[in-house]
Amino acid sequence: MNEKHTTLGDVAAIFYLTPDNAEIGEKNLFLTLKLTTTDENGAPTVKEYDRIFLHRAFPFEHPESFISVQDAEKNEIGMIAELSVFPPETAERLRAELARKYYAPALTAIKQLKERYGYAYCTAMTAQGEVHFTMRDVSRNLFRIDENRLLLTDIDGNRYEIPDLHALDRKSYRQIELYL
Amino acid sequence: MNKKKPQAAWSFSSRAPAAMPPPLAAHWAAKGLRGEDVRLVLPTDLNRDLLRCENYVIVTGDEVVLVSGSVGRTAREGTSRRPGRQSERKFEELSWDVLPLSELEEWKVEELLSSARVTARKTDGSYELIANLTNSAKDAAYTAAKYFNQLKKDGAIQIPEEKDEKEHDELFCPKCGTRYADPARKVCPKCLNRKKLLARTGVFLLKYKWKVAAVLLTLVLTSGLSILAPYVSSGFYYDEVLDTAGAFYGQLLLVLGIIIGTRLLSLLFGMINAIVSSTVAADMVYDLKKVIFSSIERLSIRFFTSRQTGGLMTQVNRDATTIYWFFCDGVPYFLINIVQVIAIGIIMLVMNPVLTLLALVTVPLVLFIIKNLFSRMDSLHNRRYTRSRKMNAVLSDVLDGVRVVKAFSKEKEEVTRFGRASEAVAEAEKKASRFSTVAFPSLDFLLYISNLVILGVGGWMVIDGKMSYGMLLTFIAYMHMVYSPMFAFVDMTYWAADSMNAMSRLVEIMDAKSDVEEKPDAVRPETIEGRIEFRDVVFGYEKNRRVIDGVSFSIEPGRAIGIVGHTGAGKSTLANLLIRLYDVDEGEILLDGVNVRELSFDTLRENIAIVSQETYLFMGTILENIKYARPDATDEEVIEAAKIAGAHDFIVKLPDAYATQIGNGYKDLSGGERQRVSIARAILRNPKILILDEATAAMDTETERKIQAALEKLIVGRTTIMIAHRLSTLRDVDKLIVIENGKMPEFGTHAELIAQKGIYYKLYRLQLDAMKNIGIEG
Repeated sequence: MNEKHTTLGDVAAIFYLTPDNAEIGEKNLFLTLKLTTTDENGAPTVKEYDRIFLHRAFPFEHPESFISVQDAEKNEIGMIAELSVFPPETAERLRAELARKYYAPALTAIKQLKERYGYAYCTAMTAQGEVHFTMRDVSRNLFRIDENRLLLTDIDGNRYEIPDLHALDRKSYRQIELYL
Repeated sequence: MNKKKPQAAWSFSSRAPAAMPPPLAAHWAAKGLRGEDVRLVLPTDLNRDLLRCENYVIVTGDEVVLVSGSVGRTAREGTSRRPGRQSERKFEELSWDVLPLSELEEWKVEELLSSARVTARKTDGSYELIANLTNSAKDAAYTAAKYFNQLKKDGAIQIPEEKDEKEHDELFCPKCGTRYADPARKVCPKCLNRKKLLARTGVFLLKYKWKVAAVLLTLVLTSGLSILAPYVSSGFYYDEVLDTAGAFYGQLLLVLGIIIGTRLLSLLFGMINAIVSSTVAADMVYDLKKVIFSSIERLSIRFFTSRQTGGLMTQVNRDATTIYWFFCDGVPYFLINIVQVIAIGIIMLVMNPVLTLLALVTVPLVLFIIKNLFSRMDSLHNRRYTRSRKMNAVLSDVLDGVRVVKAFSKEKEEVTRFGRASEAVAEAEKKASRFSTVAFPSLDFLLYISNLVILGVGGWMVIDGKMSYGMLLTFIAYMHMVYSPMFAFVDMTYWAADSMNAMSRLVEIMDAKSDVEEKPDAVRPETIEGRIEFRDVVFGYEKNRRVIDGVSFSIEPGRAIGIVGHTGAGKSTLANLLIRLYDVDEGEILLDGVNVRELSFDTLRENIAIVSQETYLFMGTILENIKYARPDATDEEVIEAAKIAGAHDFIVKLPDAYATQIGNGYKDLSGGERQRVSIARAILRNPKILILDEATAAMDTETERKIQAALEKLIVGRTTIMIAHRLSTLRDVDKLIVIENGKMPEFGTHAELIAQKGIYYKLYRLQLDAMKNIGIEG
């Protein structure tokens, strides 16, 4: 009478996109998807999406795995378990799309971080040059991904990343240390 | 562990496991009632007219005797309260009524607000009042009613062992018998042993004994130097250096050197003292907080529900600081000051006894005034404090309810309400500061007057040649040093009382026993099948209120059972009892045939997951919240669990998906979303037994259906308890339990219950009709 337990995986039945069932292309800089699925009778059905959106389930821990692929209405079509299951060319295309979506310039130095009346004004250096941005309530808009990585969100919702806190120079570190 | 005892006189009392008092037994014997006939004695404390007196309900083999009266004292006895003397008491009877046992069918305890009564249903259907009682005797009444009904049913009484004693322990101080003011906090104000308290808490200091010694030493040195200072800068300077007759006449630099030297030294000692004591402070406060917090976490849910959580948090924080303060600041400061005052007093006496007496004459007066000033000051500050607390309460109330305020456009009224509270604070503030600006300068003036007296008399002595000029100056300087600690002494009494309170709370928490405890030799079976059985379970959150009253049912492994009932009927309580958030008062709960009390907490909580109405999510990411159930779960498993719980779809729409920060000012999830996350948390646990307590109540019907469908797949092979008041949620359970007023009147399959046409049938019809009303046919 003790029936075998169903595992979580059986019940959840997550649909994964793989090179076998998904063909990812590009049209006018947008990603397209041609999805081939089989119904209960084994008959293949083909569905085409002329725009798909990628969304990381774990944006910080796993930038390249557990990617949710969504249609224009943000409904999940399926998940990509790992970018590398796709051929290098497709993977590169997906990577580029993700980079666009998760655009967050890396800050190499913080020149100034001044707080005035609840707003913090920051001047920082990136590889592309100096940036200025304003943050409201610094400690709340500063997300510590792990010991070393830091994500800052400014008042407009732009994101900046500090990839390695301890690689910052002393002066930069001092400015940000206050809020850690 | 039921043990049949011979039929003897059993009496039930919430106060003591007493046998019947001897005078009573004698009285009964005189009335022709033999001790060996007595089956049951229920002492109660109200008579039929609700007057307080001693009443007894005596059940014998064939009758029920209602006795009312009092055990009076005989003249010889005097004021002695020793129980041994009771034999000299005499029972004075007020009434004696006899009812035939055969006429009475069943006893029932009816709870009124602050009292209760025992009634009996008679064979002819009418009711008879058996006894009136206050809440203090309610427990006894319940027990007696239970045994009476047992007697009627089985013809005999079975009493399990190890009863009464515990109860007595709980409500009364075991030492002096005083009833605890707060039963949840077992501290007898009479027996609070201050010395023991100090010893218990002082232990925390032992860890830092060298540092504490350093603190004390530097304090002694600083105060020694401060005693020396006035002599060097006044007496010695004027008499020995400035005076031509002095031994060090003219050596100004030397004296300045000494003065600077002593100053520097005392500065140095002061600094060392501050540095060391601040490190001890931080460490000790950390230690104390850790002890308090870990003690609190260990305790059972009941501890938390009997206290305010907010109060607990401030308690943890404030008490630690207060206790530290007492040991590291208060006590040394107090000791040093006492030593200093005594030392200076002696020096002054030696220097000039007459002036000393003059100076000290005003001390009692000053002390008296200071004490009064401080208590007045204290009450003013207290008033300011309570008023500002009230103001803050108004403020947070309005800010929390800002939606309601706006919806009813009550902004103006709220501004006025706040204005009033704020004004009250301002008023109290004004009074307090007015008082201190008047009182303290006046006190200074008083001190100044005694200063003047000394100056006058001393000056006369100097002119008369009885005293040197330098001596006088030194004397005056010392006098000031005697006065200033006095303020501290008076204040100290308040501080000490505060610290004692904090310490007793600390010890109380450290000693508090969790009323749900894991047995030391708890069983840890390797696998659990999931058979659940409730046997005559009785439980109440409060002592005298039964929430669950005699519920029995069993669930076979892998089966699903639904619990139906009105709000507050006790459905969730059953779940709480199963996972041992609380322990049953009577009866037992078995898991795979083993009493849950015998099982380890790990076994219980690893195998049982509960999704309750309270969906508390911790501050952190969604991922962390789901993983809370099983930190070693893979990320894929997390996604799977979320998918089953219907959470995945909304989570991947969030910008940061599973890394989204939630709680406390971050992303606010809706009620339904929170429920889905907490379902995912329970699912990830992958338990043998799943309890869904209104898990899908906050969701729309479509989402609920989806999750239900997923859950149905998941619960295959798992024992599931589903609690719901929406019957559609329970479509697929094997059996249904109907809970009403803590009892279980109906149990069976859907079809059986419908056929019974009872409570379930009524609920079903109601919900069906509601559907029909909106045009949906059931």
